[in-house]
Amino acid sequence: MELQYSDREIGISEKYLTQLDRFVLGFTRILEQVTAYVIVSGYVAILFGRSRGTEDVDILVPHLEKDTFLRLHRDLTEQGYEFLNAEPADGLYDMLCHGMGIRIAEKDRVIPNIELKFLKDETDRCVFRERTSVKMPEAQLFISPLDIQIAYKLWLGSDKDIEDAVYLWEI
Amino acid sequence: MELAFDRQAAKKERMAFIRRYAAWVRKTPNAEWSEKQAVLIDSMMENARNMPLSARVYLTRVAGRKKARRSGPGPV
Repeated sequence: MELQYSDREIGISEKYLTQLDRFVLGFTRILEQVTAYVIVSGYVAILFGRSRGTEDVDILVPHLEKDTFLRLHRDLTEQGYEFLNAEPADGLYDMLCHGMGIRIAEKDRVIPNIELKFLKDETDRCVFRERTSVKMPEAQLFISPLDIQIAYKLWLGSDKDIEDAVYLWEI
Repeated sequence: MELAFDRQAAKKERMAFIRRYAAWVRKTPNAEWSEKQAVLIDSMMENARNMPLSARVYLTRVAGRKKARRSGPGPV
């Protein structure tokens, strides 16, 4: 594995993009038109080669004003995504404001999906502030800093999470 | 016939595999490890496409898993 490091930036040259990568990239290209974001959880390990799948990709964003969220909702809906939660746009915004995640998938699909949440505590805010850019061929994503990701996975403590932490540590 | 499952031994073996696999990824060019990983990931994506699952059922299952995680392991 050849990685190029600089301050808060990791380059993975010649990485073959999986369908999951393309799904995430398709979504984030729309998302970043309205807000910055940070990807956390299992997909981070998968991005660096972990040999497992995932049903969802967790993405955190700063609190959005309602009209900004409604614009995002409209953009996603127009570009072939649908919200899995049975709520209108106003209801989805209320869910986010109450600390809940909302799920978005490509139309007529359920898996994989994005679980989108607002930043809720200082840990989330730290992860967002210190987010790391990952550059791949014609693609860029923003992820949690790997050291925080490893610590978080160890704290979660399930077999799968510990395996993710060990994998990230080893590579 | 009773089958014995040694959970600790299975965990140890899985962890050894993670380390061995990570060592392989570390010494393999990006184009190669990522293309091999894609065979697995893309087949999982294809499988998900073929699975009839409604949003309502999926969200109910996710909520159930989260509740189970919060309440911890049940009695053995």
